[in-house]
Amino acid sequence: MKEIVFAGFGGQGVLTAGLVLSQVALFSGKKATWMPSYGPAMRGGTANCTVKYSDSRIYSPGQEEPDVIMALNIPSFNKFISMVKPGGIMLIDSDIVTCDTNVRSDVKVVKIPGTTIANELNNPKALNIIMLGAMVKLMGDFSEKEAIDGMNDMFGKKGKNKYEAANTAAFKKGYAAV
Amino acid sequence: MGDMVKGNIAMGEAAIRAGMHIYCGYPITPSSEVMEYLSWRAQEAGRQFIQAANEGEAMYMVYGAASIGSRVLTASSGLGISLKQEGVTYMAAADYPAVMINVCRYGDGLGSLESGQTDYKRETRGGGNGDYRNIVLSPSTVQEAVDLVYLAFDLSEKYRNIVVILTEGALGQMMEDCDYPPMKEVPYYDWAFDGKYTHGPYPSQMAVDLHAKGIKNNEKRAAITENEQRWEAVGVEDAEYVLFAYGIPGRVVLGIVDELRKKGEKVGIIRPISLWPFPQKAFDSINKNVKGFISVETADSGQMLEDVALYAKKKGFGNVPCYFISSPPGVPKSKFVLENFEAIKAGKVKEVF
Repeated sequence: MKEIVFAGFGGQGVLTAGLVLSQVALFSGKKATWMPSYGPAMRGGTANCTVKYSDSRIYSPGQEEPDVIMALNIPSFNKFISMVKPGGIMLIDSDIVTCDTNVRSDVKVVKIPGTTIANELNNPKALNIIMLGAMVKLMGDFSEKEAIDGMNDMFGKKGKNKYEAANTAAFKKGYAAV
Repeated sequence: MGDMVKGNIAMGEAAIRAGMHIYCGYPITPSSEVMEYLSWRAQEAGRQFIQAANEGEAMYMVYGAASIGSRVLTASSGLGISLKQEGVTYMAAADYPAVMINVCRYGDGLGSLESGQTDYKRETRGGGNGDYRNIVLSPSTVQEAVDLVYLAFDLSEKYRNIVVILTEGALGQMMEDCDYPPMKEVPYYDWAFDGKYTHGPYPSQMAVDLHAKGIKNNEKRAAITENEQRWEAVGVEDAEYVLFAYGIPGRVVLGIVDELRKKGEKVGIIRPISLWPFPQKAFDSINKNVKGFISVETADSGQMLEDVALYAKKKGFGNVPCYFISSPPGVPKSKFVLENFEAIKAGKVKEVF
């Protein structure tokens, strides 16, 4: 079973990125759970969700010891760095998380200039999908095509086919950035 | 394979599939998506939806809808359900069926927005005045939530009794895949109040012999107790310790038991699915030499623990100590539960009963 936390500012699309990964896992025949943080929050505050996927029954859907954490802002990095499983991965947007990331020797910090890539694509809202592409590559559980098909299937069912080409391009850029 | 769906939305869709005619409610976190979804889905499916001005009003709309023979649903959270209690006990007095979803949040009064199981006692005992008991079902997955809501309307009408789906914020808010059951179109029940006394007078407490009705109610409750116990059990036949947990903690503890048994440890779990009636029949399979029962709940005090101790006594396990693990608001951490379990095994924790 894999456990991943997606964390960042409200509006960066971390909950959606997590949902896409969970849907990709289902699309690939696995079981998946998605658990958001919810409750009182304010504009600009932090949000996170926990995704688990497995070939068999998933017991706890809650945060236990994440294999990978995606942190899209400094507060999220600081909050979650201590939670990563020893030997796990902290994936950050190095354009935003500019603090000292050399905190734990037993955690691999992977830095992707997500905001720069998004600006190059002229699609700043695609930061979450770029980072998701990088994460899928790091996890190694899904092929690039499998993940893109799963992602497009999900947005298609939500009636958002018009973003398919842009999402695919963003995902590929992130996937290639690792 | 279904797609990822929120527990609250899945329960709303399950009610539509079950042939729900009308939803009456008032929103509250963390249950609001049930009614937000039904606010458009009910109309799309040709059903009715009303947002009341408050919870008490909503419950009397439920009462009215049930009295004319419709399948009716309401949903809320702990304190919202507190406000509904007058209507609930009046419905019990009138033997009116309905399904009520409690997406429980932690605590007394306003409490917190975080997930909890602090409404066990209220739901299983009935929160209004009088002698009634609601049937209480508690899911631990989105699929089970769908299946139980679908079943709840049938049970409710079979016994003319309110059925509570007691779930938690965590399950209402989380997503998982599920398969929906087929769409049913259900006629209004034929024994309903039609304004012409076709089926007898208004079932007012003033018009009936209350004690005679009470005796009949006892027979009904005995039938429910006999027929409607539901649970999942793993490893209890050889267990030295049996853990009890329902809802989200139920699935967490199932994982712990699975892991410990793979290491050869003799530990079991009973995950009640019906909370009332409590699954006392589950005790029949438990190892007679069991050393302890442990209730794991997202609550300050052991609420289900009291039922575990009560039925342990009834089933001949009266001398088995009953312990409590109090998990803080949210989803219990496996590590936390395991540490507490180890402390109990090491004799560092005193039993409650």
